[in-house]
Amino acid sequence: MDDPVAATELTEAVARALEGIGAGVETERAGEVFFAVGGLRGLYGGEVAGVTAVARRAIGVPVLIGVAPTRTAARGAAERGEGVVAPARLGRFLAPLPTAVLVDRLGEPRAAAELVTALERLGIGTLGELRRLTLDQVADRFGPLGLRALRIARGEEEPLRPRVPHEDLVEEIELPEGVAGGQLDRALHLLIDRLLAAPERKGRTLLGVRLGARLCGGGSWSVDQGLGRPTAAAAPLRRLLVPRLEGLPGPAEALRLRALGFGPPAADQLVMEVGGAEPRRRRLGAAVREVRATQGADALLRVLAVDVTSRVPERRHLLTSFPEL
Amino acid sequence: MVGPRRLNEPRAVAVCAAGGVPRAVGGAAVEAVREEWVVEDRWWTPRPLHRRYFELVMADGRALTVFHDLRAPGDGRWYRQRA
Repeated sequence: MDDPVAATELTEAVARALEGIGAGVETERAGEVFFAVGGLRGLYGGEVAGVTAVARRAIGVPVLIGVAPTRTAARGAAERGEGVVAPARLGRFLAPLPTAVLVDRLGEPRAAAELVTALERLGIGTLGELRRLTLDQVADRFGPLGLRALRIARGEEEPLRPRVPHEDLVEEIELPEGVAGGQLDRALHLLIDRLLAAPERKGRTLLGVRLGARLCGGGSWSVDQGLGRPTAAAAPLRRLLVPRLEGLPGPAEALRLRALGFGPPAADQLVMEVGGAEPRRRRLGAAVREVRATQGADALLRVLAVDVTSRVPERRHLLTSFPEL
Repeated sequence: MVGPRRLNEPRAVAVCAAGGVPRAVGGAAVEAVREEWVVEDRWWTPRPLHRRYFELVMADGRALTVFHDLRAPGDGRWYRQRA
């Protein structure tokens, strides 16, 4: 995939889908998701094929799946369409794989690439050839990184490190026409309001957010923003995120805001308000909730000025839901 | 919550025109054309926009704004819209 942001989003979607079927997922690079099959066999028919079938259905888009005792072998099996590599066949499967596969497994891309280049210059182009070297030879010439590479070539890798399942809180707003510059600020304000009003937030503060955009003409963009301290207030989010819009490489047709981690409930934080605006805001918020409860979720709407100077009248304003206060 | 939607969307209207200039809108006669202008945008995209706007004074005193959609010359439809 040429769009790294879209690749990251798709990888995250795949990881969440697998967590939905009970898998403990490890994902450290876009385009790769690892999970242990063993614990799921009992849930899905007792066979590996049952687990992979359930995984494919859950993911819902075409993916390559490989099953093997190590990450390197699983990735190789997926890419070569070999399906399953049994433990007894691991060594024979790894042997012909090119040393280039080590670049993605060693965790230090630049140093790993240099290691692979050095190995190839010495005529060591496959994992099988690397395996023929002794520990002392590898340690003397290539140091700790070389020893890790040798262990991978021998089929010895660390166990999977499943992540804590992510809660997915994301809001997206489609923009009727591609907009850029200051007009995006108002759409971003609306997006922030909707994220904070989402029931999935459950009153918790946010630790960070990812601001993204789908660009007119294709491609996407995103930036992560830490919040310094947990917050559920719109003002600090706007202060931090509006300047980030200047990094957009072109006009956007959609904006997306995703929560990255949650903090304690907002009610546990003390906020000192100067000027008495907070009591009024609370009363207004209570009135909004009461109207919605009696008249429906869309009973209160507001007009958002998007591009008031546009020559195309329908681009000037949007009608949208009134945010929670 | 409902997603955002546009305000002031154009609405198709029946216009009787002569030489490309409205003479009647929805059966009501046009008294005068106060102003006209052309909006051309997004010509670099698959959905270009090419409209000729007219701000009209109707015989009954109403002010009305219509435009002729020029994306299909000779077959373009007319719309009314507050501009």
